[in-house]
Amino acid sequence: MPGRQSLTAASEISRRTWLQGTAAALGAGAIAQPLRAAAATSPRKQLLLLFLSGGASQFETWDPKPGTKTGGPFRPISTSLPGVQISELLPHTSKIMHRLTVVRSLNSNIPDHFQGHYAMQSGRVAPGYPVLGSAVAKLLERPGDVLPGYVSIRRDGPKAYTDVGDAGFLGAKYEGVRVVNNQPPENLVQPAAVKPPLAETVDRIRKSSDERFRHGRDAAPIDAYRTTFEQAQALMERREIFDLSKESAADHEQYGKHEFGQHCLLARRLLQSGVTCVKVTHFDWDAHQDNFYWHQIRCAEFDRTLVTLLDDLEQRGMLEHTLVVISGEMGRTPQINKLGGRDHWGRAWSVAMAGCGVKRGVVYGSTNDLGTEVKDKPVKLGDLFHTYLRAVGIDSSASYDIDGQTNPVADPAARPIAELLA
Amino acid sequence: MKIDPTKIKEVAEYKHHSPLVSCAFDPTARFVLAGGRDRAILCLDVGAKSTTELSGHETWVGNIVRSGTDLILTADFAGVVIAWDCTGGKPRQRWKITAHASTIYALAASPDGKLLATGDRDSHIRVWQTSDGKRLHELQIESHPVYGLAFHPDGQRLISADRQPKKPRLKVWEFAAGKEQRSIDVPQLSAYRRVEDIEWGGIRGITISPDGSTLVACGSNEYSGPACALLFDIATGELKRKLSSTLKGFYYSAQFHPHGFLLTAGGDIGKGELRTWDLTNDESLATTATPGPCTSLDLHPSGERCVLTQMIGQRSYPDAGSLTLYEWS
Repeated sequence: MPGRQSLTAASEISRRTWLQGTAAALGAGAIAQPLRAAAATSPRKQLLLLFLSGGASQFETWDPKPGTKTGGPFRPISTSLPGVQISELLPHTSKIMHRLTVVRSLNSNIPDHFQGHYAMQSGRVAPGYPVLGSAVAKLLERPGDVLPGYVSIRRDGPKAYTDVGDAGFLGAKYEGVRVVNNQPPENLVQPAAVKPPLAETVDRIRKSSDERFRHGRDAAPIDAYRTTFEQAQALMERREIFDLSKESAADHEQYGKHEFGQHCLLARRLLQSGVTCVKVTHFDWDAHQDNFYWHQIRCAEFDRTLVTLLDDLEQRGMLEHTLVVISGEMGRTPQINKLGGRDHWGRAWSVAMAGCGVKRGVVYGSTNDLGTEVKDKPVKLGDLFHTYLRAVGIDSSASYDIDGQTNPVADPAARPIAELLA
Repeated sequence: MKIDPTKIKEVAEYKHHSPLVSCAFDPTARFVLAGGRDRAILCLDVGAKSTTELSGHETWVGNIVRSGTDLILTADFAGVVIAWDCTGGKPRQRWKITAHASTIYALAASPDGKLLATGDRDSHIRVWQTSDGKRLHELQIESHPVYGLAFHPDGQRLISADRQPKKPRLKVWEFAAGKEQRSIDVPQLSAYRRVEDIEWGGIRGITISPDGSTLVACGSNEYSGPACALLFDIATGELKRKLSSTLKGFYYSAQFHPHGFLLTAGGDIGKGELRTWDLTNDESLATTATPGPCTSLDLHPSGERCVLTQMIGQRSYPDAGSLTLYEWS
């Protein structure tokens, strides 16, 4: 056994030496410079999706209805935006409302987890389209990009509906790389037995085989295969981008030691490293029972972490080129059920945005007194998808051209919401 | 007075415009106060058979108990406790305190009426002097909301129930010393749903037998029910009995009658029950069906009557409440 330990250590040292030539030292200092930035000449537009999985209640967050039968027990509080109130469960967020854009008049009309997860992220009900992260990764791709364009951070858990839909017809290259419990993807460290010369030889043979195989054949699958290899190699070389121990104790504290706080801290680190789109899933909003208890717990985590995250992005100069989207798959019923819960509701609910490409301090649309229906400026989920794309500089009326087939990047029947765009 | 626990009849029902979740007779049984999904408290003058509303809370009132010889205590979602003096023609505020920064989920009065205890979302337990609302003691459990509190008849101990996911706990405290004497895991009252990966259960109400030997924890037996009550030996922490309803849903409340039988109240969508149990043989003695889930129960100080709150409404969405008085013959 001593011999094996010695071999492992020797391999690791050898690998470190090899990495020095490519990635240099990837500590906290190195990450201040975007790791993929060699080819970049201007700040990359990026997108961070904070997905409130299960469906947050609009009443207990962005659209309170105090003193009504549907309003629940919590009180509204004033915000930094004159005349605008939100739920008392978001006291920190209330102080930065002048930096947010909130849509209160979304009618997605989908009271279902599976459909809502897919539709709210793809901007369509019809299946097969890429979700926002994959679409943005594709549409903002730059020559020389090697890191994955889309990373999805979540906890381990059984909620199958959270993984509905991904790259669709864009293919494997734009699938989200899943980071579970803040653990980097598996096998980022080269096995000890595979020494650099062997790895380089295998890689050379693979490339050579690919080249021979592609003659006279459809190149797309081979290219996707090659891309997967290159992304994996890039992640192996830059695995420190997943290493939260490089972040300061103060950042850990401010983001929160809980799961969502740590996931958001990793999201910021990945964005800073040059990943185009990151999704963080915040779980347990599906409060069919004890809605008010659950929203106290969930909102307390979300509220402080959101403000820390936005402050951090702004202070680092990242918010001006990063769009932050806060959404779930649906809202929750105005009616309160017999277990003190709110159920699924898609007819009148809220989403929020901040940062790149959207106006600050806007509350768009409204619902009626009981929050049962949209009253003013109705918004469809396709409108939001257009708006997200436009905010990060993508022409949402353009089309993909995949193997000679064109597909609109966003639903042609929907439109961007001009009043929200900066 | 001798009563037959199997012979119970409805005396009166009072409809209310919002769902009710908590109620209590005042110490002289002249009034019943009931609260729920409304900031106003329903006040029933039992003798006059008339109701009024009391104002003072700014949000939902989730817990109500009587205290000593002349008070009813009410607690709300904003952490406020009001002591209502019931000696006059109508309850009036004696004092009002902001007891917690977050929702009060549990409220209890000591048997001698000198103390009250409150428990909140943020796992704080506080013991107060009833005469003036002055805080005397503070306890804390680890990061789980306090869903139930009960003073032991010995006056030295306080029992708490929390909502730890998958394993709610009962804790026995020597509250003056701030010392935890015993912790009892109650996984039977967890209701973990794998589909949502969410804990729906918890201990919904606790009560202690007059002799101080038995602790009753109410809730739902795992996700699919049925409503059940677990009886523990306080001295050993041992589970002695499990009383199960035929209804799905939760038992929300239980009380020992001075004549020795146990009352449980609970229910599910569109139906509820008040049930009496003979604890010598775990036999269900009588069941009174109700149109809505029974969310709370209180015994008349003399044991002649009891009062129930219900949530009433179509399908799964109650939008009204009722307060019902029952009497044994």
